[in-house]
Amino acid sequence: MSSFLLKTLTKKEEIDRIIRDTIDEVLVLRFGRCTDTVCLQHDDILAKSVTDVSKFAKVALVDVDSEDVQVYVKYFDITWFPSTVFFFNAHHMKLDSGTADHTKWVGAFHIKQDFIDVVEAIYRGAMKGKMIVQCPVPPERIPKYQLLYKDV
Amino acid sequence: MKKPSKKREIEYCKVCRLHHDHGSRHKYFPRHKDLLSTFLDRFRTKIADVRFFLKNPSVLRPQEQSQNRVWCVFCDEDIVELGSSFACSKAINHFASSDHLKNIKQFLSKNGPAMDCIDDFRISEAGVAKWEKKCQSLGNEDASSFKGSCGQLSGTSNDIHNNLAFKTMDKIENVPAQLINSHHSSDVLPLQYNTNKYQISHSELPGVAHYGSYLNMDSSHLPLHTDPPSNLPGNGFGKHVIPSRSKDYPSNQDQERKQIKGSYSSPGEVGMTSISSSHSNDACGNVHSGAPPPWLDANDGNSSNVQLNQSDMSSSFQAKIPGKTRKLNPNRVGAAWAEKRKIEIEMEKRGQTMNSKVDADWLPNFGRVWQSGTRKESRKEFEKEKRKLVKTESISTESEPVKIQPYISKRARRETGENGSG
Repeated sequence: MSSFLLKTLTKKEEIDRIIRDTIDEVLVLRFGRCTDTVCLQHDDILAKSVTDVSKFAKVALVDVDSEDVQVYVKYFDITWFPSTVFFFNAHHMKLDSGTADHTKWVGAFHIKQDFIDVVEAIYRGAMKGKMIVQCPVPPERIPKYQLLYKDV
Repeated sequence: MKKPSKKREIEYCKVCRLHHDHGSRHKYFPRHKDLLSTFLDRFRTKIADVRFFLKNPSVLRPQEQSQNRVWCVFCDEDIVELGSSFACSKAINHFASSDHLKNIKQFLSKNGPAMDCIDDFRISEAGVAKWEKKCQSLGNEDASSFKGSCGQLSGTSNDIHNNLAFKTMDKIENVPAQLINSHHSSDVLPLQYNTNKYQISHSELPGVAHYGSYLNMDSSHLPLHTDPPSNLPGNGFGKHVIPSRSKDYPSNQDQERKQIKGSYSSPGEVGMTSISSSHSNDACGNVHSGAPPPWLDANDGNSSNVQLNQSDMSSSFQAKIPGKTRKLNPNRVGAAWAEKRKIEIEMEKRGQTMNSKVDADWLPNFGRVWQSGTRKESRKEFEKEKRKLVKTESISTESEPVKIQPYISKRARRETGENGSG
């Protein structure tokens, strides 16, 4: 349902275009499937928050089942869905949330405010020139997962 | 060793309008001194107004009594001219009083500068004596008529809103015209009748046809304009109308009554002032006819300038976009890339296609999970992996399908070989 409100990207060109055209704003790319329940919850939170962060962030969804997008799925080392990757001026922003993977946010946000806080922290860090920021979400609301190196 | 400062009581300074515990030092603070000078200047202007009336005493009309009031900052009291016949009489008496002098001295010792400016804030007794003499001479001139008219006026002025339907015109008719005539100019008679919606003109009513236009000119003189315009002198909108009007009033009363009765006959009208159609009967057109607005007509010569200005504005607005980056932190992430990209976008907008097609192999700056080192290295690594993948795929498609066989150990192979050979 929320995929109607947010742009869904299915091609590498579209992803490239949105990354290159988002200037001085945080770009939030959600990699996932619109049929997955956790993705649906995540998309719901994103859709509700998109207007609140519209002044400094853009949100887009990427369908991982599309073949054209597999390049990015591999490049971004995406193994769990939904995974949210943050960009600022075509530079990838890392988020230290205490998990094994700092390059993305894995799982769904519990509340809207968590997402807004994360985006704000990324924006503030990016404006100061930092490429990695501390996650403002408390640990109990950060989804836990196991990261396997090449399935080991 | 510093002595511990004494705990002073908190006081309120009237001049600075704040509470402080500076004690007696407060009046020497520069901020206090500045505020005090403005404070006293303000009071000086008030006293100057009162001094004007000291030199030129004038009669105070009852309806203006409530307006003629002064707040004395030294005594903290409001001086209202209730029941006084001359302007600022109570104020003058107050400023000359001994209590006021005492309060000034107290104020200046507490707050202020030296005592030499006391005389600025009070009126001398000699001045008051002179003023009283002048008032007496004034009073003798208009003693009887003034009192009489004052009484009458006070009676009518209190009834502005009520009881002045056109029935009360009878009462006003009974007022001798002499009294009204004796008023000097700048007097305004109270409302003769209610300013009612029914008094507003319809273009149909001939006698009141010009009423609407007069209303437009000066709505504050509403009650005066119930006269037919022929009765008004040249400067019909001035206050000097009143004496002449009142002379004619009894004779035209019937005519006016008829007019007003006529207007009363339409009860369902909305209470609004109608503008006579003569104003709008210009050939210029209006909003409904789609005519251009008057300000554009006036600036016909400047319209091209306006366009030029607009283009200037747009270019300056575009120039504001790089200006905006100046405000943004130049050390922010991807600043150089962002500025480059903005220029590219602008050029694309202007029509100069500058490599609009993005390379299919373009990848954003990304730091991979299992990669340590710079992000460029992660990109190179990814591209290596990609190439390997492509190679292995191509090799696998080219080669024959491999037969999968179970593993046979060397010994077993040797044994089978020996058995075979043996």
